[in-house]
Amino acid sequence: MSKYMVDKFIRAVELGDATVAEYVADPPAFVERWLAGGGGDATGPTDDRVLTEAEQAAFGARDFGALYALGAHPYLLWHFIEAVYEHEYTEGFGWRELVERYRAAVAPQGLVDYIP
Amino acid sequence: MAELVLAAVTPHNPLLWRAISDPVPDDLKPIQANFARIREAVASHEIDVLVVIGTDHVRQFFYDNSPAFAIGKADTYHGTWENEVRTFGMEYAELTGHRELADQIAGRSVQPDAIDFSVSLEWRLDHAFVIPLQYVRPELDIPVVPIHANASMPPVPSVRRFVALGEHLRRSIEAWDSDARVGILTSGHMANDVGGPRTFAGSPDPEFDAAAAGWMRDGDLEGAIRVCSDFDRLTEAGCMTYQYLNAVAALAAMGRPADHVDVPESRFSTSPFFLWRTR
Repeated sequence: MSKYMVDKFIRAVELGDATVAEYVADPPAFVERWLAGGGGDATGPTDDRVLTEAEQAAFGARDFGALYALGAHPYLLWHFIEAVYEHEYTEGFGWRELVERYRAAVAPQGLVDYIP
Repeated sequence: MAELVLAAVTPHNPLLWRAISDPVPDDLKPIQANFARIREAVASHEIDVLVVIGTDHVRQFFYDNSPAFAIGKADTYHGTWENEVRTFGMEYAELTGHRELADQIAGRSVQPDAIDFSVSLEWRLDHAFVIPLQYVRPELDIPVVPIHANASMPPVPSVRRFVALGEHLRRSIEAWDSDARVGILTSGHMANDVGGPRTFAGSPDPEFDAAAAGWMRDGDLEGAIRVCSDFDRLTEAGCMTYQYLNAVAALAAMGRPADHVDVPESRFSTSPFFLWRTR
């Protein structure tokens, strides 16, 4: 279930502006609330929310390289990262730089198995 | 009987929504021109209903409830999603559905033999549906029958099921007791990697792109089936390349070479434009 839960967490954050803002404000706290059932999208068919320690740490640190290696769905992961980092765009760091940074983190890992 | 009068394939890249604005950058002018060509074809064919084949991007459908093919039987549809407004600058849209044709395609009591559908009466359409419509029919005044084909959450349906989808669409439209003029609008990609190692680095696989355009130009359905039967081959061309199979469904529906094939390169990789017309 772990890859599924990684994707479920990503989706719970990325789909809504409010959840993105809450996550960006304090990633580790959001992870904790989500695991407890108090954050994100609670409308799914089950409310089981389990992440491994490595997954929790990667979400807490917004570590896209680690999340890619852990098997996050690439499409979901990219748009999650885009949503999370666009709050930090500055004159010297924008979309193109984020793409470059993202690619540098995931390219050495090649194609990973992202199928839950 | 109803008539299938047109089919078109376009990209649905939502990044175009911000990028194609005056003054249009040189590399995007061919994309703008191709959208205009298809917009004119849709207008001149006086289409009454559009069957829109797209791939939801893990928005409406997730791993908790993922159909291979889903058909919309709603009276109206909302588009798009909050995250797509945020990330792409898209606009919310309201679309009218066409329940009668949806029933004709899906069957009211028993699924058709050729292919089966999940049905949805509550569906928020994402950019795979909204973007092509906003470019080829910005008035959004033609009723639609949306069909989702899963290309994002393996296991994905085989290419032969996309062929069956296209052939079934033609048969069911032509068997429909109506004088409606029907068009098929599908969208997807050529080789495309989003979130993988070649994200936004140009076309990840020009060789695949050239072959994929050739199948449409030559009406070579067997060629498309042969290569696209290999999931690993498509994944090597990019993690989102599987959406190309929506174009294969259009080729199968029309059963002949496309009248117009253009695959312009741009900063966003290769964009497919294929058009079958009867006027």
